[in-house]
Amino acid sequence: MPNDKDYNKVNVLIVGAGPAGLSCAIQLKVQKPDADICVLEKAADLGNHNLSGAVLETEPLHTLLDTAIPGWRDSESAKDVLAKKIRKDNVMFLLGKELSFNISFTIKLAKKFGLGFGQMMHKNDYIVSISKLTKWLGQIAKELGVEVLTGFAAEDIILDESTGMTKAVKLVDQGLDKEGRKQPNFVEGETIRADFVVLAEGCDGLLTEKFVEKAGLKRRCPQLYSVGVKELIKVNSRQYKKFTSGRVVHAMGYPIWTPVLGPGLFGGGIIYPADDDNIVVGMIVGADWKYRDFNPQDALTNFKNHRFVKQFIAGGTVIEAGAKMIPEGGYYSIPRDPQTGSIGKGNCIIAGDSAGFVNMLKIKGLHNAIDSAIAAAKAIVEYSDNPSATAAKYTELIESSNVAKEMRSARNFRQTVAKFGPLQGMPISVLGGLLPEFKIEEDYKAMTAARYRLKPKQQFDKDTFTAMAATEHREEQPCHLEILDSKICAEKCTPKFNSPCITFCPAGVYETVHDVVKPANPSNCLHCKTCQRKCPFDNIRWTVPEGTGGPRYKRM
Amino acid sequence: MSNYIVLTKQVPDITQITDNAFDPETGTLIRSRLASVINELDTQALAFANYMKKISADANGKIVALTMGPPMAEEVLRYSLGRCADMAVMLTDKALGGADTWATANPLAYAIRRIVKDFFAANEDYYVVCGMQSVDGDTAQVPPQIAEELSSPCIAYATGAEFENNRFEFTRIISGGSEVVAARKLPAVITVAKYEYPLFATFAGTRRANRMKIVCWNGDDIKATHIGAKGSKTTVIRVFPPGKSTRKCKHVSDAKTLAKLLVESFKSDGAESGDGNGKASCYVLPKRRRDKFDKSFERTKKENEDFEILSRTLKDLGVSEVGQIDDDVKDKILSAAGERFHKKVLDDMIEGLKLTEPSFTGEVWVVAEHSSGTIHPAIFELIGKARELADSLETKVGVCIAGDKVEPTAKELIAAGADNIYIIEDKLLKVFDPNAHRKVIADCISKHWPQIVLFGATAQGRMLAPMISYKLGCGLTADCTSFDIRDISRTGHVAILLQTRPALGGNVMATICTKDSKSQMATARPGVMKRLSPDKSRTGKTIRHQVKLSDGDTGLEIIKTELGSGAVNFNVEVIVSGGKGMQSRDNYDRLISSLCDCLSEKLGTPVERGASRAAVEQDFAERIHQVGQTGTAVGPKLYVALGISGAIQHMIGVANTETIIAVNSDPNAPIFKQCDYYVVGKIEDVVPQLIEALEAE
Repeated sequence: MPNDKDYNKVNVLIVGAGPAGLSCAIQLKVQKPDADICVLEKAADLGNHNLSGAVLETEPLHTLLDTAIPGWRDSESAKDVLAKKIRKDNVMFLLGKELSFNISFTIKLAKKFGLGFGQMMHKNDYIVSISKLTKWLGQIAKELGVEVLTGFAAEDIILDESTGMTKAVKLVDQGLDKEGRKQPNFVEGETIRADFVVLAEGCDGLLTEKFVEKAGLKRRCPQLYSVGVKELIKVNSRQYKKFTSGRVVHAMGYPIWTPVLGPGLFGGGIIYPADDDNIVVGMIVGADWKYRDFNPQDALTNFKNHRFVKQFIAGGTVIEAGAKMIPEGGYYSIPRDPQTGSIGKGNCIIAGDSAGFVNMLKIKGLHNAIDSAIAAAKAIVEYSDNPSATAAKYTELIESSNVAKEMRSARNFRQTVAKFGPLQGMPISVLGGLLPEFKIEEDYKAMTAARYRLKPKQQFDKDTFTAMAATEHREEQPCHLEILDSKICAEKCTPKFNSPCITFCPAGVYETVHDVVKPANPSNCLHCKTCQRKCPFDNIRWTVPEGTGGPRYKRM
Repeated sequence: MSNYIVLTKQVPDITQITDNAFDPETGTLIRSRLASVINELDTQALAFANYMKKISADANGKIVALTMGPPMAEEVLRYSLGRCADMAVMLTDKALGGADTWATANPLAYAIRRIVKDFFAANEDYYVVCGMQSVDGDTAQVPPQIAEELSSPCIAYATGAEFENNRFEFTRIISGGSEVVAARKLPAVITVAKYEYPLFATFAGTRRANRMKIVCWNGDDIKATHIGAKGSKTTVIRVFPPGKSTRKCKHVSDAKTLAKLLVESFKSDGAESGDGNGKASCYVLPKRRRDKFDKSFERTKKENEDFEILSRTLKDLGVSEVGQIDDDVKDKILSAAGERFHKKVLDDMIEGLKLTEPSFTGEVWVVAEHSSGTIHPAIFELIGKARELADSLETKVGVCIAGDKVEPTAKELIAAGADNIYIIEDKLLKVFDPNAHRKVIADCISKHWPQIVLFGATAQGRMLAPMISYKLGCGLTADCTSFDIRDISRTGHVAILLQTRPALGGNVMATICTKDSKSQMATARPGVMKRLSPDKSRTGKTIRHQVKLSDGDTGLEIIKTELGSGAVNFNVEVIVSGGKGMQSRDNYDRLISSLCDCLSEKLGTPVERGASRAAVEQDFAERIHQVGQTGTAVGPKLYVALGISGAIQHMIGVANTETIIAVNSDPNAPIFKQCDYYVVGKIEDVVPQLIEALEAE
């Protein structure tokens, strides 16, 4: 009888139904069909909170699915998700609003000489929509018997203080009103006990960061972030054909980096083809930007208006949009137990972007997310009788895997750029592993009173952007964004930097109301968490709203 | 002990409609492109049933979730089981597909009967609780039709319940206020208009629900009489995209001109810009046409052309009677027409040529809605439309009115364009009781059998019409915005009523016709049809109709009626909304109220206050006033937006407005590109000027 069971207890609880969480669940279910495996996801539906470029290196996915479902390649979903193999791989350098140079040869050259950034080759990888990929993986997981529960947000992780083992995960309360009073439909957040917990929340995970603190994990170097903003644009078929369907373009230079004149920001633009005459245009900017009035969406606007980009998208309509952060700190930013070096602790494992497995030389992380998730599953299966050693086993598997190999090879890249700036940093990074480890500060400390030289005249239309992200929250709930000390806003931030959160939040959440800076529109939030990493005074905290809230990405 | 059956429906998530959701050729929705969700009002119904169970302190009462749909609709049952349902029943069968509301209500009612027999031990003490309507169909017909099939009282538009003296008392919305009622007998059908606290899912509850067994029934298991497309009484004959309304975006420099435009646009005829002006008047009955092969009133252009070719060819061949067409003639026609049509089509057309008599006969009726003898304005619009239809069908306009002492209304109904007034008077009809009213009106209709019966798509009409049509076995189309008379000769229809209505939240238009019915019935959206200017010299007849009524014929006991409560009623013709540009709550209160009062007096119509989300966030107004995607979607005649920037989320919510007037101090405010008239200026300056100008108008 279903009634007799304790439904608040599971064998393995995976937090986050992204590529990492679902891959882990699939691998686990294949190896341990009888285990209760639950994946928690705060989004209303699978893939709704997943946004990426994305270029996917498919080996880890193939490894996973070949064991899970023989013959998967012939399924309609597989063909749909993996429809676009990359045939042409361009790296462009943009100078000013008009000029563009194809510098793909330098990457090829670098590869020939075995230099780090020679890894930035994408040929024969796939262009995918991560929302679609996630949805597909979720369906596979469900068919295998994994319990994928969408619409459930977790707010805390509970550790046993004496053993250091993870006991449970606490869900967020539902049915509170704006002032935090209980409505008639109030439901207290449940406590879900689990033998094993896998944190696969993606970039800057709420539980992951709580766990890092509670379990005493340390990063040798603070995590560094980039902010990506992306639009899916419907163009005419002539433009689409002109771009060609198997081609990816990565652009450097304008509008975020121009030698001598500035601006001097790290990052670049992307142009990828999607289905149905849609073209993806995105801008990724290192969160260590120093301009107080900078907003990655402004860079996107400039990028879209560059002659090279414009030819493919002029006259098109934005049909979907979104924003997300990317963890870029790399190898030195992986949270580890100071004693054992384990990525996680005891029975709790950190996988995918939550751990920070993005290879900045490849500018890809999806394959590592899947790979690390498979390792997590293997560790859990192998140590099912000895949960306290699981994280150590997982770390051992990671260290001997391709994930660690890649992470080590790219270990200094982002820090070098952060240290020396894009101009000198890039060439210096060629030295790669020969370089010493740099002491790097958190992104938010980079803010200055300087202004972005290329600020567009027209204010970016954030309302339409959030509408295209289809973001939604129940209005009558406590605000999930917290300003720790509003005195800092009034006395330090506003006079010095003119409250940058109002500008950089891609959803226009922050506003000045009666002279006070507030998260006035929390229901517009895209869950990108840029605010808590970029507030120049580290004065904002992102907590989790009720489940099902947030953007509804479908083709991002 | 009461039990509860909650009706749930899986619907496409129309809040997430994307550019590629519609077939560019046909305008039809590609269902697979939209996520499927549980109809939002059904989530409220579920919570409402749970609340009823809770307040009656009855732990033994069972909540059963019921749905009808394809196998994937199981998800809405899992949703229900994960929250409060004790068990779930799924009605799924290919034979049930393609059903209209008639053929949906019928099998659902039979399934309810079986649930009662199998799981409630035939205990008749139960409530059927459902959302007021579904977002995809928007008809609100199924619950009253189920009530009719079960011979139960129907308590529509419930917003609350209390358990007093061992029985439930329900608060429900009525036009202009609310009332508290109790069902005179059980079972009763409750439709929930608004219950603010839908239940949240729990982790444990969801996992448990996913393991529970769902009872699955097919068509044979319930022995319903009318199922699927076959058992339906209406057919959708065409789906097409709605015409895009284009806003004028005219800049107005002074308050005086704005005041003038404001009054003019309010007084202008809505039907002109709406899609409600189907020109039924240009229809000519076959017997009046110039020759017997004239088939120029077909539904589509192509059919008209086909018949023209046929008629020309017949003339060229010297054929003057349909009877003369033999195989030889047919071959000649086919070769003359080239590839235009096949033999089967030609045979159908020839059959069509033989038809000269209209498919329906009788008068064109309007069922009048009134409040103590004051006729609802929508009824005059319907009479105007009925007049036009009746003239082209060469028949009379009848108006059926039921109440206590309603005879004095006859004069104004006749002046509005009616010929015959059918009057049913009884003391028990003094207040509107759906069961009693439907009994007498249905009785009157079945005595005279008009060919068309129109109801206003008002709160009352949307409840009464489904009960009456179901009782009489007739099809019903809800919320029509245009009517046309046309032939579809190839399928044997002559002079039938084409009923066009928006669906899927206004994203598509559908043209529907009635089948297998003795009368064609529809409700029509108020404010779309054109009323005629009253002609006091018109004459007409009054015909009394007697029906025996007793207390047992009423379904509801009315405990309390409250009119003009503080509730927000966005169902008005004029709304004045304030946004962030109002600066302060004080400004909002003062300026909006004074403009509302002034407009209300000047235009002689109630005016409601609205607010943008930003204004609500800034605490200028209560959430209940919020207009837009997350607030209420409104469609007044006139929408005055003060200090509203025009975020897309807000504009979606006012898309159905006829005229939008905007005032904003920011000359680049996006709303100026999405309105009809706008003034650039400070609200504090413009509003007093506008009031002054309005008073001088």
